[in-house]
Amino acid sequence: MAFPDIGALIKGMSVTLREMFNPPVTYQYPEVRRPLYPRFRGRHELKRHANGLEKCIGCSLCAAACPADAIYVEPAEQTDAARYSPGERYARRYEINHIRCIFCGFCEEACPTGAIVLEHDYELSYYNRRDAIITKERLLVPPPAPDLSTPRAMPDPGGLYSAIPPVKGGVEQ
Amino acid sequence: MPQVTIDNKSVDVPHGTLIVEAAKQVGIEIPVFCYHPKLQPVGMCRMCLVEVGTPKRGKDGQIERDANGAPVIAWMPKLQTACTTVVSDGMMVRTDTAQVADARRAIIEFLLTSHPLDCPICDKGGECPLQNLTMAYGPGQSRFPVESKFHNEKRVPLGDLIMLDRERCIQCARCVRFQTEIADDPVLGFAARGRGLEIVTLSDPPFDSKFSGNTIDTCPVGALTSRDFRLSARVWEVRDYPSVCAHCSVGCNLWIGERDRTIKRIVPRENEAVNEIWLCDKGRFVHHFATSSERLTQPLIRRNGDLQPATWNQALDLVATRLKEIQQHDPNAVGGLAGDRASNEDLYLFQKLFRRVIGSNNLDHRVGWSAANVGADLIRLYGAGIGTNLGALAHDTTALVLGADPEEEQPVIRLRLARSARVFGATLIVANGRLTKLAKYAKQSVVYRYGGESAFLLGMVRAIIDENLENIEFIRARVANFDAFKTALAPYTVERCAELSGVNADALRNAARAFAKSPDALILYGREAMFAQQNDPAVASGIATLLLITGHVGRANNGLVALYPHNNSTGAFDFGFLPDHGLGRAQVESKGLSAREMTCGKVRALYVMACDPALTSDSLVGTQQGESVRQDGFVKPEFLVVQDLFLTETAKLADVVLPAQSFAEREGTFTNTERRVQLFRAALKPVGEAKPDWWIVAEIGKRLVSGSNLKLETWDYAHALEITEEIAASVPLYKGMTCAALAENVKLPRPRSGQGNPSGEPAQIAMGELENISSGKMWASVAESDASAKFELVWKEPSSQYSVVSNQYVLAVARSLYDGGTLASRTKIVQPRVPAPYVEINSQDAEEIGIANGARVRVSFDARVIQVSARVNGHVPPGVVLMANNLDGTAALPMGARVKIEKV
Ligand code: SF4
Ligand code: SF4
Ligand code: SF4
Ligand code: SF4
Ligand code: FES
Repeated sequence: MAFPDIGALIKGMSVTLREMFNPPVTYQYPEVRRPLYPRFRGRHELKRHANGLEKCIGCSLCAAACPADAIYVEPAEQTDAARYSPGERYARRYEINHIRCIFCGFCEEACPTGAIVLEHDYELSYYNRRDAIITKERLLVPPPAPDLSTPRAMPDPGGLYSAIPPVKGGVEQ
Repeated sequence: MPQVTIDNKSVDVPHGTLIVEAAKQVGIEIPVFCYHPKLQPVGMCRMCLVEVGTPKRGKDGQIERDANGAPVIAWMPKLQTACTTVVSDGMMVRTDTAQVADARRAIIEFLLTSHPLDCPICDKGGECPLQNLTMAYGPGQSRFPVESKFHNEKRVPLGDLIMLDRERCIQCARCVRFQTEIADDPVLGFAARGRGLEIVTLSDPPFDSKFSGNTIDTCPVGALTSRDFRLSARVWEVRDYPSVCAHCSVGCNLWIGERDRTIKRIVPRENEAVNEIWLCDKGRFVHHFATSSERLTQPLIRRNGDLQPATWNQALDLVATRLKEIQQHDPNAVGGLAGDRASNEDLYLFQKLFRRVIGSNNLDHRVGWSAANVGADLIRLYGAGIGTNLGALAHDTTALVLGADPEEEQPVIRLRLARSARVFGATLIVANGRLTKLAKYAKQSVVYRYGGESAFLLGMVRAIIDENLENIEFIRARVANFDAFKTALAPYTVERCAELSGVNADALRNAARAFAKSPDALILYGREAMFAQQNDPAVASGIATLLLITGHVGRANNGLVALYPHNNSTGAFDFGFLPDHGLGRAQVESKGLSAREMTCGKVRALYVMACDPALTSDSLVGTQQGESVRQDGFVKPEFLVVQDLFLTETAKLADVVLPAQSFAEREGTFTNTERRVQLFRAALKPVGEAKPDWWIVAEIGKRLVSGSNLKLETWDYAHALEITEEIAASVPLYKGMTCAALAENVKLPRPRSGQGNPSGEPAQIAMGELENISSGKMWASVAESDASAKFELVWKEPSSQYSVVSNQYVLAVARSLYDGGTLASRTKIVQPRVPAPYVEINSQDAEEIGIANGARVRVSFDARVIQVSARVNGHVPPGVVLMANNLDGTAALPMGARVKIEKV
């Protein structure tokens, strides 16, 4: 009875042997990156309209929806002389605490303008905890052209008369 | 009482009840937009449609009955508005039928065709009746294309405080009706027609009302929003703390809405006995002082001539050592001044420190007032009965308002008195040396000559006695000295009093009759009468006599209400902040020094809490016995400690400055002008190292008693409310006013008042629940608490002081709701509401001087010359001019001075 369980050993080794001839599933990160599904939920971005205005109108609905209480919005009033977004209200401060965030995507779902979107960046590591609070500057995508940045004087917001674009579901398709 | 059946639930309600109110009683909510329980129903929005039927009657007038004996109901062919239909006996109402649901759906769909639905950026979002009712009764989807929406102007400033969004208005006229019916500043109106109907302001300056903020609450949508709170937070992110307004003596109940350690907004907290659901704009908007960058954040000690930061221990040790030194030498060389803005707890401990530890009666709160006793005894003896409700004085009540201007000084009391007169038919007699806004609601408005207050009161007394209207029973049972009084009064006929006071004799008789014959009667007396009282003791005795001979004391809606200037003046009297009165307003044996004496160098050490004697800006400084008395500048004593929010003029001179907390950072109680003790809670985190006043006083107390034979434990408090408990246990007037008792009979969380949510559905209160807080408790006056107490009539000779000198005018000093005070001047948004300095003058006098309305004039008195613009109107009688104190360049005006007016 020197090898009572020899059967199990052979069974195990056979799996090892078989896998030796299969191609490896490991990605050689960071040289090689795994393709993501389109709806993958990574780091948030604050989007802009085609004319460069921020989609975010500072309504705090994302913060209200967030189960982790990770979002902080401080709204303020804006004028045509220094316009950030359509309507009267904009987000003066917008912060997401990535230590708290559980990437559920509720904020994206709550947003009436499609401003906050969980994008594909998943490289979220920080040297200190403060950096994990992502401020508006870091969340906001760059303007489509340098002269379309915010805030800027914009006497006539044109088709963006209303803070919430009159598109079904509030999100531009 | 008619019985009405609503959705098969029957209820008996009083005659005249509206269906919508009857439904609330059986717990059925009928959705409304234009209806508001405080306003007249108009039936403008049609949201409240219900099915209504009444019992069918045969030709014989008998109710027809079906086979089962139940009455046959004749249903009205169309839906009826529940907000305008009055119930009748046997009425049946159905609110749960398909027809009603359909009507509600249609009304909402219709309203939304011209509504922007920009809830995400709307300040009302989260507490909006339109949102709530759309969710509850709306169609969910609209059949109208979004492009067909009616657009209108957004962001229309409707004055300095209110912003209008015309698109959002649903044309319910609540704002218009509030301004017309409640505030009686009819400055809003409708313009244009149909969908384009617009709210416009009819006044110049726009929306000129002291109550404009209430329209924000009553607007059922986000059409009217606060320019202060505007777009600065969502309502559910704001955490509400129950508090009490610290600006005037009404003591309105309010919620302080806090976010990020700042006050975002203040909204009224319902209390039917104090402020109903209203606030004046000062209470609502003047709060930025609490988080002002000028606040003191750490203790300061004077070293080498400069005030330098120090730790609390250093500062407190220094104060204790120096006070002890001086006190051991002579306790009466230590004086204490406390402002009547401090809470009861602070005042109680402060007097305890002085009376028990230092052993000095040098306490006063009337900084800048003269040394006379301003009514402490009158209120203790004859204060209005418990249960007095100034907002619901009935038709059998007469209120004599003497020398007061509540419109500027106690705005919500003006609003409520006007409502008592207009809605409930109470009789107001408004007597003053000039016309005030309140006079408009008076059955009788009397303008006496300034200085003729006592003659006016005695004239009323005489007229009552002449016509045998006195309350003989009451006099026999409770009043002494009546006959002697009558003898002394003999030379003062009604005619003579009329001449002395400048009032028509018939007016005196009419006022006397109304007051004496009325089953319930009150006297409210204000700052101008108190000023008269300090020069003329016959004013106080006249008030007492009038109340006593008519027996109008000791019951609800009877007695005396003093309209004091500050939020806790009553508390300051109660805790003996007078040189001659001790705790509980009792007389003390060894009289201390008055504020005036303390500030002109009669003490070696002075401890100043929450007031600014170096900047005596109070108008009660000035004349005494007709002589112009000027405040001799503030003399800094050897050792001066100042405890305040800001580096005041006095603090700049101090040896030690201690940073105190504002009312928003701490808890405690205030006693309002009706003697109602009310609890308030902390809303903000302390600014810097600031500490509550009571803590600072207790720390000094601990240091002073250590090493003496006094007990240290009596100075150990963990919390302000421990002091409240001690007061309840040890001060007779405040007996039983424990925190629990003060927090009685209020259920929280509950709907925030006036938020356009009359349906009674609780507004969501964000993040955690609120602590219990109450509607307050009044202490009983002697007349009420002691049924066997006897009162003595005191005869005082009236002294009329202001003889008219040609080319000179008597200066009457008014107060403006918004002025240059410490707190208001730190709130930017109300600055445009602060009037430019002015002098009001009668048109007759104006003609003599040769000036027209708006002209610049030079006002000179006592070596002071002020240039202001003239307001020529009929509010002041000839020979009197009126200036508001504490505006730009008009600080410390001496009431009653003779002034010269010249054209510039
Ligand atoms: S993804 Fe979820 S947890 Fe993260 S911020 Fe959005 S709502 Fe909050
Ligand atoms: S919900 Fe959207 S628009 Fe509103 S604050 Fe959040 S990101 Fe901005
Ligand atoms: S502004 Fe508000 S309160 Fe006034 S009519 Fe319009 S909806 Fe009603
Ligand atoms: S009436 Fe007086 S207590 Fe009431 S809100 Fe105005 S200032 Fe405050
Ligand atoms: S019509 Fe009844 S609530 Fe407006």
